[in-house]
Amino acid sequence: MITIQNLTKVFRTEEIETAALSGINLEIKKGDFLTIMGPSGCGKSTLLNIIGLLDSANDGSYKLLDQEMIGLKEKGRAKVRKENIGFIFQNFNLIDELSVYDNIELPLLYNNVKASERRQKIEAIAEKLNISHRLRHFPQQLSGGQQQRVAVARALVNDPKIILADEPTGNLDSKNGNEVMELLTDLHAKGATILMVTHSDYDASFSQRTIHMKDGVIFSEKLNQRNVDVFMDAK
Amino acid sequence: MIFNWFKIFIYHLKQSKLFSFLNVLGLSIGISGVIFAILYWNNEHAYNQWNPEKENVYQVLNKIGITGDTWTTSSIPFGQTCAATIPEIEQICFVNDWYNESVIKYQNKKLIDKKITVTDNNFFDFYPFPIIKGAKKDILKEKNSAAISEEQAKLLFGEEDPIGKSITYNDKPYTIKAVYHIIRPSSVEPNYVFGGIIRENDANQWGNFNYGLMIKTKKGADIATVLKKMHNVNFVNRTLKDAKASGQTVEQYVKENGEIQIILDQLKTRYLYGTKSSGSASPEGTGNLKLLYIMAGLSLLILILSLVNYINLATASAIKRAKEVGVRKIVGASKKQIIAQFIFETAIIVTLAILFALAIVELSLPFYNAFLKKNLTINGAEFYLQLILIFGLVIILAGIFPAIYISNFETLKVLKGNFSRSKSGIWIRNSMLIFQFGIAAFFIIGALIVNSQVDYMMNKDLGFNGDQVIRIPFNYQDYKTKGQKYETTKQEILKIPGVQQVSTFAGTFGNGTNSSSGFTHNGVFVQPRNVDMDFGFLDMMKIKVVEGRDLSPKFASDTIDNWLINETLAKTLGLKNPINTVITSGWGNEKGNMKFKIVGIVKDFNITGLQNKVPQMVFLNMKALKWNNFQNVYAKVSPNNLTETLEKLKLYWEKNVNPDYPFDYEFVNKGFAKTYAEQVKQKNLFFILNLVVIVIAIFGLFALASFSMERRLKEIAIRKTLGAETDVLLKELSKQYIVFCLIGFGIGIVPAYILLQKWLEDFAFRIGISSVPFGIALISLLFLTLIIVLTKAFQVTKIDVLKYLKYE
Repeated sequence: MITIQNLTKVFRTEEIETAALSGINLEIKKGDFLTIMGPSGCGKSTLLNIIGLLDSANDGSYKLLDQEMIGLKEKGRAKVRKENIGFIFQNFNLIDELSVYDNIELPLLYNNVKASERRQKIEAIAEKLNISHRLRHFPQQLSGGQQQRVAVARALVNDPKIILADEPTGNLDSKNGNEVMELLTDLHAKGATILMVTHSDYDASFSQRTIHMKDGVIFSEKLNQRNVDVFMDAK
Repeated sequence: MIFNWFKIFIYHLKQSKLFSFLNVLGLSIGISGVIFAILYWNNEHAYNQWNPEKENVYQVLNKIGITGDTWTTSSIPFGQTCAATIPEIEQICFVNDWYNESVIKYQNKKLIDKKITVTDNNFFDFYPFPIIKGAKKDILKEKNSAAISEEQAKLLFGEEDPIGKSITYNDKPYTIKAVYHIIRPSSVEPNYVFGGIIRENDANQWGNFNYGLMIKTKKGADIATVLKKMHNVNFVNRTLKDAKASGQTVEQYVKENGEIQIILDQLKTRYLYGTKSSGSASPEGTGNLKLLYIMAGLSLLILILSLVNYINLATASAIKRAKEVGVRKIVGASKKQIIAQFIFETAIIVTLAILFALAIVELSLPFYNAFLKKNLTINGAEFYLQLILIFGLVIILAGIFPAIYISNFETLKVLKGNFSRSKSGIWIRNSMLIFQFGIAAFFIIGALIVNSQVDYMMNKDLGFNGDQVIRIPFNYQDYKTKGQKYETTKQEILKIPGVQQVSTFAGTFGNGTNSSSGFTHNGVFVQPRNVDMDFGFLDMMKIKVVEGRDLSPKFASDTIDNWLINETLAKTLGLKNPINTVITSGWGNEKGNMKFKIVGIVKDFNITGLQNKVPQMVFLNMKALKWNNFQNVYAKVSPNNLTETLEKLKLYWEKNVNPDYPFDYEFVNKGFAKTYAEQVKQKNLFFILNLVVIVIAIFGLFALASFSMERRLKEIAIRKTLGAETDVLLKELSKQYIVFCLIGFGIGIVPAYILLQKWLEDFAFRIGISSVPFGIALISLLFLTLIIVLTKAFQVTKIDVLKYLKYE
């Protein structure tokens, strides 16, 4: 689904050049659940942003669904983004001025989905994420976990090909954090492709594969054993 | 989608009720200013546009060679010769350029009418008002025919059929032939139209410029050719003949006396863009192009000011919307959709503002109408079209820029949260703020200068003293016995206790004298105004005689061949010892040209408004020429028991002078004040607009200062932590606004100086532009800026440091 070859990103200021990414190679298949870990400034967020088409690379190749993304104009990127990618952020990024329903509706609006279909989809996804009773509320009236579930609902409502999660539990306590991670695992079990950035080994353990980055390069990759599942399920 | 946009819009509206309200209010004030200007503009441009003949009808004006005066009147033989010899002219029509005011009688009914037009018999070919009743053609052809307007017919005849009825005007019977409907606005909107303007004995008088003249050209005629041919008529019949009579060659004669230049003003444009002339150009007057431009210019400035305000606030508050825009972009909004969303919001605000503006206009229209002496209403397809145009224009001007600005927010930066202190857009906001300061400075300076000119006009020593002097119209038709009648009246009213002095002259203070006659002395041609007066007139008006003596009944020759001249005339004629100089006047009697001896020099005084210089004047006793063309009696009355005195005068007038006219009077000072009524209006206009501008500008400054200071909260918190004291912080925060204020002021003074200088050029008597208004404007502008900025800055320095250091 995603093939990245020799991807390079350089930040330039007047005095210095900083290589945020240097020669990244990565492949993500359909149905993968991949975690990127690493210390602050290692380039993991930059990589996520490039994959999410929010940022652009200087060199290399990034293919999404066999389509080259490097060199695509803003307009084209916006189109690919809205059709294929769902985002989940650390700070949720919900629009405080809109109700939960309206927040979830946004991607559908921008994808020109018909009004009747929108209602169905929103109700279905809310049901799935257990926030049906919260649809009329505003984000500020919800707990952090609930807000993140709304954000997940918004990311999923348009059936994206891949979900990008940038430290989805970073602003949550462990209980709410667990709920969100279970949600992602669940989605993965049902076939979703997920790419997640995190600081937490614990969170990473939910995924299939973890990549460690440092100074703009990938230096290790390992497959995870879900040996904590039993313990968590007992909760 | 629109529903979603609307929800967000409503949310923000609710969140900042005050700012949203002020924003809408600011825009609506700007828009209502433009609506006012448009209403005025439409009305001024609507004159005569209904008239199907507007393209072919021209008013003939004459620019008199030597004096440079432009007269709206022509002579009968000139018009008739042109009609007979120039094939391009279809027909001509003589018409008075003013309304006659007189009593109209029908059976036992008597009505005073102020809109009577006396004209030729083909008037309705030039102003084809629709005929409602009676003859449609040749309405005024028969002798003593008249037509009456629909409204007036109802007033005079009630339910009766007016056609064929006889009415009396100027003691002569006329038969009503038609009833017409007046289409407004028109240069002539008469209540009555009487035929038979041409007086027999004027038929061959080339020098009698007593008649307004209109020509109607044939379709497709070249007006330049017509004008050339008309000039030729004048040249052959006047210039050539006059030159011959004076025994000079034509070139010599033209060089000395000049030649009449004929000007043709098309009916279509005549009301507003017609040639400036001395005397009335048409009964309904002419348009005030200058005031129109001032209104249009100032209202546009205010609209720009409110637009700038809107843009500034929209971009400043855009930061609050940054996250929303970021999220929208992430979930798939394109730039176009973001722009559309914010233009949509502007559209809602502009719609509200326009509705608000219409309400403001509707409510203040009566005051505006009183100010313009008009009867404007909000209607007409043209107006609504213009309103839609304004709507579109305001949306584009106010909406596009903030929308593009917002749509360009970089998603990543916005969502990372380090956006709120970004410097983007600051440069533009600051220059707009400077621009606002400039406009405010312009308005303050303008208002101060207009104010001091008006003050100057109201307080200037005019050279005469009209305190306690009243002017009473003296309506007496028979010119032969008018002098005698005046003498009797004078003697009788002097007996009324409270009447101290009685005198008269042929003219009014403010409008000038009724006649002017030219003569040549020592090779200098002059055209002085004639002050045809009674003894004691100069004394009563406290007009000084600086050399020689006033005319007096003690000297028999004072009623025959002595006169006074004013300082200006003495100077123009270059007389070193003017007293006892004998001058040959332009008037003749059976013995040839009359000669007058100067017995005194009168100190210059302002007979017309301060727009004009003091004209050359000659003063002679009314018995010398016996023209009796005075129309008023002037009386000095005691301030004690004034009501009683006036009551007695009224009784006398109604019984003995003219029972048909109600007694009327006016204080001379009040009459003169009319000459600067226009400027007083402009002063008030400037004052009101000034308030509006300052309110809008202050609000804009406050809002902008609030936004930009709130973005610096973290900086302030850090500074406070490091030990900055309040006054240092205040200085730091307000410094830049003072600089902006100074730059804006510097930009504003240039147009203020130039435009006000131009405005002042209209006045022969005017103030010089000193540095005082500029100083006052600068100080008040700085003062206002400081108050607003310091208030806000003080509030900002009181923040809780911890809260902002923890944030982010």
